Amino acid sequence: MIRSLRAVVTCHWSARRIQRYLDADPAALLTPGEVSRLESHLATCETCAQVANEHRTLHRALSRWPGRPAPDPVAVARLRGFVDQLVGEEQ
Amino acid sequence: MSHPADSRGVPEPRPDVDAQASARAFREHVEPQLEVLLRVAQSLTGNAADAEDLTQETLIRAYNAVGRFDGRHPRAWLLTILRHTHLNMHRRQRPETVADWESLRRTRPAFGASAPHSAEEEVIGLELHDHLERALAELDPRFRAVLWLVDVDDLSYAEAAAALGVPVGTVMSRLSRARERVRHHLGPNILTARRLP
Repeated sequence: MIRSLRAVVTCHWSARRIQRYLDADPAALLTPGEVSRLESHLATCETCAQVANEHRTLHRALSRWPGRPAPDPVAVARLRGFVDQLVGEEQ
Repeated sequence: MSHPADSRGVPEPRPDVDAQASARAFREHVEPQLEVLLRVAQSLTGNAADAEDLTQETLIRAYNAVGRFDGRHPRAWLLTILRHTHLNMHRRQRPETVADWESLRRTRPAFGASAPHSAEEEVIGLELHDHLERALAELDPRFRAVLWLVDVDDLSYAEAAAALGVPVGTVMSRLSRARERVRHHLGPNILTARRLP
């Protein structure tokens, strides 16, 4: 009973950190201790490991959005020319 | 050897040197960010022509302000200018959001889109994409904006915060809730069975 309650608490604790763990964003890094605890939990808890996998899949799918506005090289080249014009008189 | 200013202990301003330093700083900080600026401008405006206009206007404002820029986090600095410029140019735009969903959904690069890695991946990706489109359409625009900037445009939390004019904590909470809603909308079967390689 005590053990299962502890597991539930750890699942709750993990759920609040899975996205930050996967993003590893410099503004919100987990501490090494948190990373270690989370990885240990993901290795043994199928439910939380599944949640982490779903987040990974979701992020990959979004990052490959077919309509993702990949910069048009011609437009980027025009902007480089515009930068040259802006700084041209000073260099 | 001695400069005239040395005798008074205070150097004379050197406008020509300042201007050259500004030009160098501008090239150093801004040129590497042109593609990101254009991509985010496209997310904010929803079309390529407006995005280029917005980016040009942002570059002019950034050039005028580069002398006051401390050189830290140039991308977030530029995205803040981009947001202000956008709000000035398009006053009807809701703050803290990106372009409306129909514009985003239709957004297509002129060319140069990344090729799918395999035919199988393309099919899987398209199936998942249909579900994703429906899930994103149902999101609150403020939640969708954060999800789009971080997961599609690949901005950091701080950069998305700069682009939207909200605190980093707000980006994190909206992002977390947006992803959870999309994940629940899709369900484990779609996200597992259609898992990308």
